[in-house]
Amino acid sequence: MARATEAAHPRTWVPPLVVFGLLLAVWQAIALHDHFLLPTISAVWGQLVHHPSTFLVNGGDTLAEAVPGVAISYCVALLLAVAMNQSRLVTRAILPLAVTLNVSPLIAIAPALVIALGFGRAPRVVMTALITFFPALINSLAGLRSADPKALEVFETLSASRWETLWRLQLPSSLPYLFAAARVVVPLSVIGAAISEMVAPGVRSGLGFWIDQWSVSGQLDLAWAGIVTLATFGLLLTAIVVLAEDRVLRWRGFR
Amino acid sequence: MSLPLNTPGASAPGLSAAVNDEGYIVLSNVTKKFPTMTWPALDHVDLAIQKGSFFTVIGPSGAGKSTLLRALAGLVQPDSGQVSVFGEPPSQASRSKHLGWVPQSPALLPWRTVLENVRLPLQLNRRADCDARDPEEILGRLGLGHAQDLLPAQLSGGMRQRVAIARAFAFTPKLLLMDEPFGALDEMTREHVAHLLLELWQAERPTVVFVTHSVTEAVVLSDWVAVMGMGKLMPALAIGLARPRPEGIEDTAEFHELARELRGQLRKAFGGTGN
Repeated sequence: MARATEAAHPRTWVPPLVVFGLLLAVWQAIALHDHFLLPTISAVWGQLVHHPSTFLVNGGDTLAEAVPGVAISYCVALLLAVAMNQSRLVTRAILPLAVTLNVSPLIAIAPALVIALGFGRAPRVVMTALITFFPALINSLAGLRSADPKALEVFETLSASRWETLWRLQLPSSLPYLFAAARVVVPLSVIGAAISEMVAPGVRSGLGFWIDQWSVSGQLDLAWAGIVTLATFGLLLTAIVVLAEDRVLRWRGFR
Repeated sequence: MSLPLNTPGASAPGLSAAVNDEGYIVLSNVTKKFPTMTWPALDHVDLAIQKGSFFTVIGPSGAGKSTLLRALAGLVQPDSGQVSVFGEPPSQASRSKHLGWVPQSPALLPWRTVLENVRLPLQLNRRADCDARDPEEILGRLGLGHAQDLLPAQLSGGMRQRVAIARAFAFTPKLLLMDEPFGALDEMTREHVAHLLLELWQAERPTVVFVTHSVTEAVVLSDWVAVMGMGKLMPALAIGLARPRPEGIEDTAEFHELARELRGQLRKAFGGTGN
């Protein structure tokens, strides 16, 4: 109740609206001054309304790479984090590799992925998975390690098995961290998929691919309409994660 | 009641014999040193506690009280000496679910209701057969019957600590290890919860090793109180107050005499006021 009232109160929604409005005004001023730098807002809006299917279909293609990519990386990261939490040996074996992966310019391996996996969607999905992997792994690991040490002692004095400790204490304790990870990697997956469309040659689809094409050919209104579409998708996905987080964490007594 | 073996005259040979005795929990010449501490947490500690008694260790912070408790729980491995819980090493006692652990903070699982938290020990390590109590009944006896469907976040500190006690009693462990369980509670709540614990203990009679800073708590609850400082355990003081001990026993002359004696021991050991 209190939260709903808070959300409806003007002090919650007026400030972001003002900032957003100011930004649009500055944008429009620049666009009117030099339309080679930025398209006018009306031009971008016009593209969105006149060719909705272009943006929705290609945006859907991007999502079809982003969602499986992040789902794969999230699951693998969680499984690896569980293994690392169980065994120091596994941690020592995996962590340096994960850190190396994180600091590598992953974009640069796109051509290699295309050679290995063909011109289809597969290299883009893999690229998205690689880009989102590290934040998912580190947050999962931090979550598993966040279990109350006093509660761990209670489990230990009862000779609880590793599985019981994982299932009944460590995994439930890590829920807030797992959602924090999702908040980072789910929107990141849309960016990752769009970038991989730009750098992985092959299928002529996906908003990332088209934004690149439109930018190069000077069709800025189309390019910006594509960016707006992807940003909207990212926001919607984030909203889904935040809503799920709120419900689950309340249900589990964290809030 | 026979004397604990760390009373004057108890000799080390007597203790090593008691290590195999199912009627006692025993620490025999136990030493534990942590690298970060200048004195040992446990310094050649000898102790035997008879089954069914309520034994309290009192002393200042850093005296080694918690380490003693953790050694009994198998959470700490001594550098030397022997620990035995009714004739078994602590690891075996833990596997058989003979140990109830009540830490300083209640350590409840925030996503489980009060009742589910009390049920937790029954769901873990199921191979060990324990004589499970009805969790609802235990909660009722601790005055938490109305709260069993609430989450820990909805409870006061005193209620949470009572849930932790109910959790420890739910699977009828033979040995209850309680590490300053009322340390975070205010004075009024402390007394109330201590008396609830006393009633429950009186009915079930598990062996209890209890660690506290409070002289009042030690005298109200215990059969024996031993002062501990810098890793050394002093001879235990027998608390001869009749049981059951009702609320208000703190106001009797007998109680004051024992509390005075215990404060005297603490003063002697530390040269302080014993508060």
